[in-house]
Amino acid sequence: MKFTLLKALGTSAAISLMATSSGWAAECIAPANPGGGWDFTCRQVGKILYDLKLVDAPVQVTNMAGAGGGLAYSTVVNDRSEDANLIVAASSATTTRLAQNAFGGATADQVRFVGAIGADPGVIVVAKDSPFQTLGDMVEAIKADPGSVAFAGGSAVGGFDHMKPLQVLKAAGFNDITKIKYISVDGGADAITQTVGGFTQAMTGDMSEIVGFIKSGEVRALAVLTEERVPGFDDIPTAREQGFDVVAVNWRGLYVPKGISDEAFNGWADKLKAVAESDEWKASMEANGLAPFTLVGAEFQTWIDDVVAETVTLSKEIGVIQ
Amino acid sequence: MITGDRIFGLVVILVALAYVASATQIQTSFLSDPVGPRAFPILIGCVAAICGLVMILRPDPEADWPGLRTLGRLAVALVALVVYAYLLKPLGFLIPTAVVAALLGYQIRPRAAPAILSGIGLSVGLFVIFRFALGLGLVALPRALMG
Amino acid sequence: MDILSNLALGFSIALSPFTLMLAVVGAFVGTIIGALPGLGPSNGVAILIPLAFTMGLDATSSLVLLTSVYYGAMYGGRISSILLNIPGDEPALMTTLDGYPMAKQGRAGDALVISGVASFVGAFFATIGLMILAPMLARVAYFFGPAEYFALYLLAFCTLGGMASQNQAKAALAACLGLGIAMIGLDNNTGMPRFTYGNLHLMDGVDFLVAIVGLFAIAEVFFFIESHGRDSAVGVKLGKITIPVKDIIGSTGAMLRSTVIGFFAGVLPGAGASLGSFMAYMAQKAIDPDKASYGKGNPRGVAAPEAGNNAAAGGALVPMLTLGVPGSGTTAVLLALLMTLNITPGPTLFTDRPDVVWGLIASLLIANVVLLVMNVPMVKIFVKVLMVPAWILMPGVTMVSFVGIYSLTGSYFDLVLMIAFGALGYVLRKLDVPTVPVILGILLGNQMENALRRAMTLSDGDWTYLFSTPIAIGLWVAAIAGFVAPMFLRGVMKKPAIADADDLAD
Repeated sequence: MKFTLLKALGTSAAISLMATSSGWAAECIAPANPGGGWDFTCRQVGKILYDLKLVDAPVQVTNMAGAGGGLAYSTVVNDRSEDANLIVAASSATTTRLAQNAFGGATADQVRFVGAIGADPGVIVVAKDSPFQTLGDMVEAIKADPGSVAFAGGSAVGGFDHMKPLQVLKAAGFNDITKIKYISVDGGADAITQTVGGFTQAMTGDMSEIVGFIKSGEVRALAVLTEERVPGFDDIPTAREQGFDVVAVNWRGLYVPKGISDEAFNGWADKLKAVAESDEWKASMEANGLAPFTLVGAEFQTWIDDVVAETVTLSKEIGVIQ
Repeated sequence: MITGDRIFGLVVILVALAYVASATQIQTSFLSDPVGPRAFPILIGCVAAICGLVMILRPDPEADWPGLRTLGRLAVALVALVVYAYLLKPLGFLIPTAVVAALLGYQIRPRAAPAILSGIGLSVGLFVIFRFALGLGLVALPRALMG
Repeated sequence: MDILSNLALGFSIALSPFTLMLAVVGAFVGTIIGALPGLGPSNGVAILIPLAFTMGLDATSSLVLLTSVYYGAMYGGRISSILLNIPGDEPALMTTLDGYPMAKQGRAGDALVISGVASFVGAFFATIGLMILAPMLARVAYFFGPAEYFALYLLAFCTLGGMASQNQAKAALAACLGLGIAMIGLDNNTGMPRFTYGNLHLMDGVDFLVAIVGLFAIAEVFFFIESHGRDSAVGVKLGKITIPVKDIIGSTGAMLRSTVIGFFAGVLPGAGASLGSFMAYMAQKAIDPDKASYGKGNPRGVAAPEAGNNAAAGGALVPMLTLGVPGSGTTAVLLALLMTLNITPGPTLFTDRPDVVWGLIASLLIANVVLLVMNVPMVKIFVKVLMVPAWILMPGVTMVSFVGIYSLTGSYFDLVLMIAFGALGYVLRKLDVPTVPVILGILLGNQMENALRRAMTLSDGDWTYLFSTPIAIGLWVAAIAGFVAPMFLRGVMKKPAIADADDLAD
């Protein structure tokens, strides 16, 4: 096999050397398999950083799936806490799990959160032929018979997607959360498939996961969980205007190891800001249903601390943790 | 006297029972679904135990087990591989790979000189391929030596 | 015709001397990556995505390069299966069953050529299927809910009886072993750890690549040490490499049937290429009157799984492009690539971005033709691997395995686990326990359990829900038939012949 491989060298080394020749290359860890939101963040940010010449070599994306992001988190905290060339994709799922102590005792202050560059609004959708026309219809049906509506979502039981319908029902005064049916499937697209197929009655997820299906008319969004309607999707009412005061937005951003210098931290914050302001990122956000949401540096860290504290309170209130 | 299958069947039953016992200890959550996290593993453990029982009752003809010397060689190879796994990170790729590749080569054909040469050759050759052709981030030498 | 004009559009985008060169490079690199144990198509595509950006390739050129790598790796996976009895990646698992015995008989070249042609047939017709049927087939996914998926996985395990060694209990035991290992990790439904004993590395379960490389590659090394390389394909006198026209013609039916089976397995997001090649092999064996020769180097036993897994790779693009649901690890990487290029697959992709879709289809066809043409000369190179003495070859394979697994997570934990699987594989094979069901169990275990638990959640624990749709009932009937038929046939036919036929463990 060795000799064969050496022959392969001739062809592939020439092109591949370019990828590895730079001694200084930033790395972005996506703590999940390719295809999801974290992977998207790493690949888009990495590409734009390189396009804007903010890094001198393409950002290497590493997929480190494990324990819902916990493996990457512990790797950064324990093994790479001083690596200034490392960024890690994060989102509401990260803070939710930290708040629910799902990372094996790790806490949010063991890394530094650099910034958020966009927000993915939470949505609750049904198949196009569903009897529910408004969020109110659905809530009434659940109140009358909790077993009649099953939700499908991409996150685990108790995770961010599961909490969205629970928050809505709680806002409607329905507190018996173990009665609400939720099945956890492999991602948002899968959840839609199950809902369109009629196996579940509703899907809970993020706007970016449903854009194509909304356009093709196969699903209808009952509500978007933002403070105001999302630009470009102005015909989707918010839960708030339907009388359910629930806001659940999945921010997309990055964290870096704790041990890097303030200079390096601020460097990443500035770079992230530049990415957020680039036309390329704006186009990408619009195509994927993301709402603008930029917050970097120390301000973002404060915001994160608040979010974690709020999530702890909320999870306890709903009863997802005890 | 057929023993291989019977011993293995017994081991399977013991492991399966331990597995079932361990499965009953799995914590569940009050948010759990009707099936819960224990049922499926317990089912698997029980089926495995039945299979183990069948192996004890109806064993196949005895396998051709190697002699003690060969088993010793296999044990050496096993230990070498485990040590290699732990040394790969602290000592870098080149040195442990050369040593272990030479050792394995020697185990397959007990001649020292060619084995050592092929170990060194494999170590350097594979490093070049992985590092430069496939772009994997391997470390060549111990970090201490690299400065 | 619409399709033809669309295809012309695709080729006008994807076909140029430069992209052809990319296809050749991609196919070559992909084949090498696929052939290396532990490095599969996902690694190949993932490694090359940054490369595509370094070279400043546009969207179409990147697609051509990466689809060539993708298909190249699917072709390459069979090479180490046939030559070394080590599957290069998980869909190539079934190819070891008849491919390696052929190599031991000195017919490694024949096996590689037949499987190469079968790969081409599978991939080519699957691409055509993708072209014509994709918008329609997208709807198939809507008919498969938890109950249907559970029945589908059950069907796979029930047909295992047909491939068992003399002792059926051993095949069942092997499947239980795999299923039991699959249970390790965080339970998706409650978030509680199972069988992890506080170890963070086990939280996400055992990676099937670790298991495959351990059970096959490392165990193989132990066998070489025991036998000093005798009784292996290494060093067997090779026949002259010719194109085995007779065998290829004889396998045409097997290839076409397997293509259909594999394609549909690929279209179902929960099934994928491994199930495709498994089902294709079992179906082929079931209808072939000459069952006794399977597992002993039957060319049709090589053609069927290869056509099946390549067709499944094409089929898996259907849900990926039309629903955004990746049917396999590799399509997940391609999905990541599309998203990096700011293309979000979904139901509107075919109408919104015909340039992307048809460019992709054209590049798949290009990659396939390039691979077929490259294959004949490459077979000559690859069989030379068997001329490398075992005492150089096997340490080399071991080191490649280590690096491949190390590159997954960069932790020594997986390496030690891989060695443990190696020791287990050695013992299992000594005891004539087949190892293929172990892998199948690890691959499908979680999905099977999740399907069952989702079904029970939806029905509030009502078991009749599992048989509530025509599709589910059909799959249950097939599963029961698949389980009972081998026992029944065993009684009808002469015992020794069947025992021989089922002797797959060697």
